[in-house]
Amino acid sequence: MEPWRLRPARDHGMTLGERLGSTRREPGLIEAIGHRVAGALLAGHLRVWHRLRVTGREHLPTEPPFLLIANHTSHVDALALASLLPWRLRRTTYLLAAGDVFFESPARALLSSVLLNALPMQRQRTVRHALADLRTRLLEDGCGLVLFPEGTRSASGAMQPFKAGLGMLVAGTGVPVVPCHIDGAFAAWPRTRRWPRPRPVQLRIGAPLRFPEVVDDRDGWAIVAQRAEAAVRSLAPDAANPDPSGGQGITSSRRQ
Amino acid sequence: MSEATWQRLFGWRHAFDQPATVWLVGAVLGVLVFASALVACLAGAGRLAPKTRNELQKRLLSWWVLAPLMIGPVLLGAAFVFAAVLVLSLLCYREFARATGLFREHFTSALVVLGILGTSFAAVDHWYDLFTAMLPLGVVTIAGLSVVADEPRGYIQRTALGVFAFAFFGAGFGHLAYFANDASFRPLILLVLIAVELNDVFAYVSGRLFGRRKLLPQTSPNKTWGGAIGALVLTTTFVGLVGPFVLAGRPVGSGTHLLLLGLLVGVAGQLGDLVLSAIKRDVGIKDFAATIPGHGGLLDRFDSLVLVAPAAFHLIGFGHGIGLGSASRILTGG
Repeated sequence: MEPWRLRPARDHGMTLGERLGSTRREPGLIEAIGHRVAGALLAGHLRVWHRLRVTGREHLPTEPPFLLIANHTSHVDALALASLLPWRLRRTTYLLAAGDVFFESPARALLSSVLLNALPMQRQRTVRHALADLRTRLLEDGCGLVLFPEGTRSASGAMQPFKAGLGMLVAGTGVPVVPCHIDGAFAAWPRTRRWPRPRPVQLRIGAPLRFPEVVDDRDGWAIVAQRAEAAVRSLAPDAANPDPSGGQGITSSRRQ
Repeated sequence: MSEATWQRLFGWRHAFDQPATVWLVGAVLGVLVFASALVACLAGAGRLAPKTRNELQKRLLSWWVLAPLMIGPVLLGAAFVFAAVLVLSLLCYREFARATGLFREHFTSALVVLGILGTSFAAVDHWYDLFTAMLPLGVVTIAGLSVVADEPRGYIQRTALGVFAFAFFGAGFGHLAYFANDASFRPLILLVLIAVELNDVFAYVSGRLFGRRKLLPQTSPNKTWGGAIGALVLTTTFVGLVGPFVLAGRPVGSGTHLLLLGLLVGVAGQLGDLVLSAIKRDVGIKDFAATIPGHGGLLDRFDSLVLVAPAAFHLIGFGHGIGLGSASRILTGG
């Protein structure tokens, strides 16, 4: 008889505090209920407050593992990307969030974990270790990740260069990276404002990129970052020369 | 709700009405004080290696926290026993689910939690028919509704794990709660808890003294025949000696019945310990969690209780019934 597949939680043996600060955290029943309730409320908020409009849904992944990436100007971004996914995928999808903002105190860490299913990304320390962990989780657990390769919210609203960390996650794998472009989020909730304003937000989804042939080294990571950045840029409504690989099926009907 | 029921549930003023309660609580306190003094003396005299000393101090400290947590609800009243056992069931289920991977199956997991809540309700209500029906009901519900997800792959595994978890941590631990429906539940529960914990201590000590042949080396390499037999003899003796005071004035005061109870606690306690060890070996983990310093998870501490609770409940119930004198179905009526 074949043995059963008994897989302990990745955060097995950790205390609650360690779990909350770890990229190995796996949600249980209580967190799942939290994600579901928060997800429904936030989806309603996006629809009413930001009149979220989405084009290119046909490019969304149907099976894990996958990465959703986008330009980053606002906290609205992560909520908008997470709201794209059906519950079946959402329940195993993690938002990579800045450790010094979303996990800066135990209470915040708890809320980020229970409501958003966020995982902490420390900006300086142990990034390489955490990314290696996440790469393993993508390949072995079959989970989804929502992340912003710029590494931080843009202060001006203009897109910053992508960091190579994205490459460390997917170089040499077949994991699809789905590029998205978010427009309007900066006007709605820039980092200088405390609360979001009711401004419309548009989201465009591009065709997934895969990097199986890219070597998993420093040069390969840079290649991944460059290609992903080009794909996201090409989705911008004012893109000068859209990249045909990333820009398929995109209408450039920008709502004024 | 009658005055007697109210007093049973919340009457902490009656905590020490029965002399047996006073003696049992006093004995636990005495043992803890003695053990702490002993460790302090040995450490002061430099007779302990630093590693052993740290380990012993950590364990003692855990016991100073655990013992009040276990005894406190029993003294406060039946309502607190129900609450404490419910929390124990849920936390133990959580540890089991996270160790085996069952926690990823949210729907099955939710059904198990529902079963645990239902069992707890039946115990609180003092509705014996529903309480005994909870195990078959739970099994049917978990197995039946898990099919609705239309995901046949892994069905047997998640259903079997769910049923197993419910039987052990829901229905099994539930018996401990149901004891609290008896008018004199305090000495009864204390006797079972103390006998189970002493059984562990007896096994450890006699294993150290007489342990040569391994008991089940693949499952639990540190257990020996000497430890197992020593624990059986000592636990049976303990229950045989203390039992008459605890069960004084009841039809089950008889010696053979008490010896049988002691033997049952000895056997079921050690089997429960081994069952949980087998699960850990099968999964490939050392401890179930890191909840209690020095002990591991709650399941590592309460492993012996898993099988003892239902076994002791039915043996005692068989002898003189449990809660026969108390009002039943206090919430649902009928």
